[in-house]
Amino acid sequence: MLNQPRDRTLPTLITLLVIGLLLMTFDVRSEGVGVTAVLRRGAQTIVAPLQKGAAFVVNPVVDLVDSLSNVATLRETNLELQRQLAEAEGQIVGLEDDLARLQLYEDLYQLEATGLDIGRTVARVIGQPSAFDGALYIDKGTKSGIAVGQPVIDTNGFVVGSVEQVTAGTAVIVPITVGHDEVAVIVGEQIGRVRSQAFTDDMRLEINPADEPILAGDRAVTASTSVRFPAGYPVCDVTEDAGPSADGLLTTTCRPYVDPDTLRVVVVLSWPPDPITAVTATTTTTSTTTTTIGGSTTSTTEGS
Amino acid sequence: MRLRPAVVVTVMLLVAVVLQTTLFSQTHLVVPDLVMLCVILFALTRMRPEVVLGVGFLAGIVVDLLGSRLLGLQAIVYVVVAYLALRTRDRADVGRIVTALWVGLLSFAGAVLLFVVGTLFGENVVFGGGVLRLLFLVPVANAILAALFGPMLVRLIDRDATVFRYA
Repeated sequence: MLNQPRDRTLPTLITLLVIGLLLMTFDVRSEGVGVTAVLRRGAQTIVAPLQKGAAFVVNPVVDLVDSLSNVATLRETNLELQRQLAEAEGQIVGLEDDLARLQLYEDLYQLEATGLDIGRTVARVIGQPSAFDGALYIDKGTKSGIAVGQPVIDTNGFVVGSVEQVTAGTAVIVPITVGHDEVAVIVGEQIGRVRSQAFTDDMRLEINPADEPILAGDRAVTASTSVRFPAGYPVCDVTEDAGPSADGLLTTTCRPYVDPDTLRVVVVLSWPPDPITAVTATTTTTSTTTTTIGGSTTSTTEGS
Repeated sequence: MRLRPAVVVTVMLLVAVVLQTTLFSQTHLVVPDLVMLCVILFALTRMRPEVVLGVGFLAGIVVDLLGSRLLGLQAIVYVVVAYLALRTRDRADVGRIVTALWVGLLSFAGAVLLFVVGTLFGENVVFGGGVLRLLFLVPVANAILAALFGPMLVRLIDRDATVFRYA
């Protein structure tokens, strides 16, 4: 009688599934810090040079294909860019006047800068982890002063997301459209929060308590109560009119200005100015801020 | 697993990870999951089934470590897909088109499983507007790549020029 080799496929599958579930549970419990963070950093440090090398070869090819596909509209785009450049140059002249006036007042009142200007690091997007992971790799890391928790905007100043992991030469950014975390925003004079939603790029905007309705087209910008982003950066445009319900809750949707899939260049902000504060902010689960605007008290909770 | 197939498999997975995270992250219509594709095709080789499962699991761990999601999520998906591939591989060795359809179906199952397990663990897999599109684009891209390169990959690992010739 022949000895058939035992089929150990099912026991192996079950063992690996159990190990996988244990790893997931451990990762959830450790909240992405500790051993798992070290492992992630190690893996990225090993693969990063290969990714950078591949991106060096691949990016020009992708850009060439993009250019060829857009060649039909190149003339119109060029004219539009020239118009925007003329507008921007006009605005610069206006800003120079404002700066001169500001300097005059500073001299007059003997004011000094507080030194809290936000540092900016421009980085190229070199890829994404996988088809089902919306995070972005950038080609700058701790060597360029990037730290976990720092906010990221695009070249127009619109909010993109925040730095989740960082190695010496690369970093992983999680856009607000795919992340768990909420962003504290202000719409008009009302403070609320936006968060990502399943199966859509539009985000959910909640204001509680809301005093007045908001209209489609209203702009949501980061609030000064935010622990993750500096104030005043545009996040999204409200897409539907909405008014407060009987219990004062207002919910609607808003469309983010940034499509992370099309980003080639981003700007990482050195904010808060103290990196230790940045890391602390990312390890805090939630923070609640109470603000009084126009006589009404608003509580804002922002996950991190 | 002997040394040469081990080296070939490791290099293939490394190339798949690097291409996935660079080239195919910037092409919006061609979005394969190259690592999943490799894991499925490994089931067609003469590698022992337990080794195929182990390779799938480790490849998933690497992808998880490089991404922003839970450690172990992709590993579970790849190991289940590898198991399904091992159980159904007899049906795949018929022709190039059948192999491609088989890879496409397994990739679709993997994508659905990723959404289900990810959602159960509160992951952000289903966040964003492109997820439903990916459910179909990824299997299609994997199927096309399997039809083009699948037989060659199997022959390379097994060092047997006669397999998957589809006479």
